[in-house]
Amino acid sequence: MAKGESPLKQFEIQPIVDINFLGFDISFTNSALWMTITTAFILIFFTVPFLKAKKTNSVSDLYPTRMQVAAELGFNFINSLLADTVGKEGKKYFPLVFTLFMFILFGNLFGMIPYSFTFTSHIIVTLALAMGVFIFVTVLGFVKHGLKFFSFFVIPGLPVYMLPLLIPIEIISYLSRPISLSVRLFANMLAGHTLLKVFAGFVSALGFFGILPLVFIIALTGLEILIAFLQAYVFAILTCLYINDALHLH
Amino acid sequence: MPQLEQVEFFVSQLFWLGVFFVILFTVLTYTTLPKIRAFLNQRDDFVKSHISKQDELIKKAESIIENYEVKLNDAKSQASQIINDAKDKAMQESESLIKSTEEKIQNEIKMTEERVAKEKDQAISDLNIQLKDSATSFISKVSKIEKENINL
Repeated sequence: MAKGESPLKQFEIQPIVDINFLGFDISFTNSALWMTITTAFILIFFTVPFLKAKKTNSVSDLYPTRMQVAAELGFNFINSLLADTVGKEGKKYFPLVFTLFMFILFGNLFGMIPYSFTFTSHIIVTLALAMGVFIFVTVLGFVKHGLKFFSFFVIPGLPVYMLPLLIPIEIISYLSRPISLSVRLFANMLAGHTLLKVFAGFVSALGFFGILPLVFIIALTGLEILIAFLQAYVFAILTCLYINDALHLH
Repeated sequence: MPQLEQVEFFVSQLFWLGVFFVILFTVLTYTTLPKIRAFLNQRDDFVKSHISKQDELIKKAESIIENYEVKLNDAKSQASQIINDAKDKAMQESESLIKSTEEKIQNEIKMTEERVAKEKDQAISDLNIQLKDSATSFISKVSKIEKENINL
């Protein structure tokens, strides 16, 4: 590793602008910078292609621009994901799932740019997102079903003597949802980026034979891009499934 | 691990995450996504209406083809009828013509035969009369000669 630099150094947060608000340190950091870039990019990506898009009044209006095709692809992807997991009632929650998916996806993807910062590799960020989903889904369950929501922990068709054992297990599994959701994303990002950095250290250490880890890094970068997409997808589809659970219980 | 060591930046990270997530969520929910959905729905409607229009046109075309085929079949059967009629007529006409011609020929043959028979009879009777005349004149001549001989 060059200059004895830790492969974990890339995850360090560096404040860019120190801000102190009511005694809280809310400095604008490199993490916040990449959140800004991600947010701006998503808004531009999904707004600009439709600014010039005319209403379809004739067949010649049917040809979308390339940017529009890309935006429609993202839109339809989440749309069908919700329709497949939740059904027609899922349309209401489309903006939430869409925002979550795009925010995580582009956060992950921008993290693949060298010298950038991956804010999804921080457990506090992923935990906040997962807790947000968890609280939203739980509140949704109570709003839809009231106290009947607790019947979610009782698996139907089970012998009564099994319930004392299984209800606590169900409750624990329910409560561990935000943890598994956040740790999955965080650990994937952490592991991938650390691995890339470790092998990048080998490249300079091995001299001529450094070409071997270099080839490996190139392949691994491809894999990491796949994982960046996959983890955003997993987060989104699990959110959909949790919403479905809250709406339909079993 | 900086993720767990830099606790002093937790509030900052949560704050900015909240800010940007809320901004993104709000803008997407209230402007971007409804716009995209409206656009896509309008396009889907356009495509669907075009498809239904096309279906109507196809049905129309099919009915026109059916109509045409019915008319074509009618015309064909009419044509064959006319041809058959014409054939029958022609056959009848030619047959009657042949018949009348044969009758005429037969008549002529008969008339000719009758004429020949008449002329034959005439000739025979004429010959008889001539024979008779010559016979009487011969007899009278002979008897005259005998008288003369007797008188001698």
